[in-house]
Amino acid sequence: MEKIESMLRERKKVLDEMAVPEELEARLSRALKERKPVRRRSHNWMAKAAAVCLVVFLVGYNFNTLAFYGKKLIGYDQVMTGTLRELNELGKGQLIEKSHTFDNGVSVTLDGIMLDESQLLAFYTVHDPKGEVNSMNIHHHIQFNGFFGRYIMRGGQGESNEDNTRIKWLMSFEPPFFLERTLHFRFLLLDGGTMEEGVISFKLDREKAMGTTLKKKINQTVELEHTKVKFDSILASPTRTVIYGSIQNILELAKDQLSGERLMMNNLNIKLIANDHEVIKQQGGRMSTDTRGKTFEQSFDALPSDLQSLRIQIESISVDRDVNEEVNLLHQNRVMEILGQHLEINDVYELNGSTFVTITTDESTVLTRVLLMVDGSRIELEKTVTDDYDKLPEGGIRHTRTLHFPGTGEELVLLIERITFTESYNTILEIPVN
Amino acid sequence: METELLVKKAKQGDKDALVELIMQQNQGYYKLAYAFLSNKEDALDAVEDMIVILYEKIHQLKKVDAFHFWSKTILANCCKRRLRNRNKIILYDSLEEEPYESNYKQREDHLLLETVLGQLHEKHQEVIRLRYFLDLDYEAISRILKIPLGTVKSRLSTGLKKLKESLGGEG
Repeated sequence: MEKIESMLRERKKVLDEMAVPEELEARLSRALKERKPVRRRSHNWMAKAAAVCLVVFLVGYNFNTLAFYGKKLIGYDQVMTGTLRELNELGKGQLIEKSHTFDNGVSVTLDGIMLDESQLLAFYTVHDPKGEVNSMNIHHHIQFNGFFGRYIMRGGQGESNEDNTRIKWLMSFEPPFFLERTLHFRFLLLDGGTMEEGVISFKLDREKAMGTTLKKKINQTVELEHTKVKFDSILASPTRTVIYGSIQNILELAKDQLSGERLMMNNLNIKLIANDHEVIKQQGGRMSTDTRGKTFEQSFDALPSDLQSLRIQIESISVDRDVNEEVNLLHQNRVMEILGQHLEINDVYELNGSTFVTITTDESTVLTRVLLMVDGSRIELEKTVTDDYDKLPEGGIRHTRTLHFPGTGEELVLLIERITFTESYNTILEIPVN
Repeated sequence: METELLVKKAKQGDKDALVELIMQQNQGYYKLAYAFLSNKEDALDAVEDMIVILYEKIHQLKKVDAFHFWSKTILANCCKRRLRNRNKIILYDSLEEEPYESNYKQREDHLLLETVLGQLHEKHQEVIRLRYFLDLDYEAISRILKIPLGTVKSRLSTGLKKLKESLGGEG
């Protein structure tokens, strides 16, 4: 018995020393944020009876209207964000409910769409009676075709049921041109070596489309130490809020390409804050490089209806750059800076015909392309063998690891071709809302 | 006095007041959840479950000064529901927080303890967790779990006996 009690006491000691996580308060507030006030039931039977009479009367009289507006998309709860769920609860959007069945029994049903100025959302169900809905290749080349062009898929998510006979998809597409009337929802089924196309056509009901709540040019450039980020515009619609921006225009991109100093953005971390403290939940983002240069889009949930103020908080950016730095390893224990990033060579040693180089950098710094020049010939990095993280008392985390290059020689030069690092900032951009 | 005012505000639907009430005793709530669930994420989730229920039910609370006991009863129920749902799988998430080796023995003991505790019947588990992990007295346990004082005592002794049996040997 004593052993058990000592184990229990030991466990209690651990619990006593445990700190309450800092996020507790924020999580509690967030949990309550979406809750609607509870209405208390009135015990007045006359009011109840009157209400019942009224409902009977209204339902009887307007049955068709109610039947229509009361309809919601069922079964999409898991794939909808908070905003979409609310809109669905309100019965927004256009119900389509048309399906196409392929020869092998697989069917696709377009349950409904939601349309606003920033996107066309399609809610569709793929049904496979054989229960192989997960391994089936159906959503390549899904698109909407109209008279004025085609509207391609941007992304989305789906959820399958337990016996794998059904997936409910929620996909976002480009919004159709404003004169489009009839749309054709096209999809391909790849089954073994054969390919079959399915089409579902429907008339777009613009009356059920939702407009824009806020559309603004931002046109502000934030200069970080090594990177310039330009915020171009914001488009807020009832389904989501999108911020558009760019890192480089096409001229800057061409210039860097020629000088061999390309940069690639890995991650841009921003927050969208409404009414001073309401953080709008992020939905996703994308980056692309094309004829417009390097551009990005970050999408968030819809803005609150009582919008007083809006700001973007830039937290950090992680960029991958060409550097082409040569480090002679004859001098060990060296400390250097590459684009302001601290790099320390701790140790260089040979073992079993390989060369090992131990380095320390900041946690967010990664040598994304590194080679070893041994007597003039290039040796590729085989792997990174150890990993150690040290917390510094003044904050920040240092990452020490050993790089393994298969080969040895007299003259060793570490060639760092590309490097990724994160720049942290706390810059705020105000967006006028009036 | 302050608690009373906050409870009144919360009863009128003031969300901030409700959060503040919980934060007054955040240590107590979090530890209660942790004692049941043994990991941070689940404990936080359970406290979240609790506050949503509190918000919906607070207008039914009659005794203002019983707020904390009442909400801890609800929290205990939320934790039990989560425990049942996760089928006795023990999640482990805070390994990287501390140097691994120095805590190895302790963790091993903890894992063993959680495994055998998890095999006990729910009614025995909960009294052991509350009595030993949170150091609650019999009366507090009886109020939170809504069972008579005598039952608390008998379940505790049966629970300990069973725990000893599962650990085997002299215990």
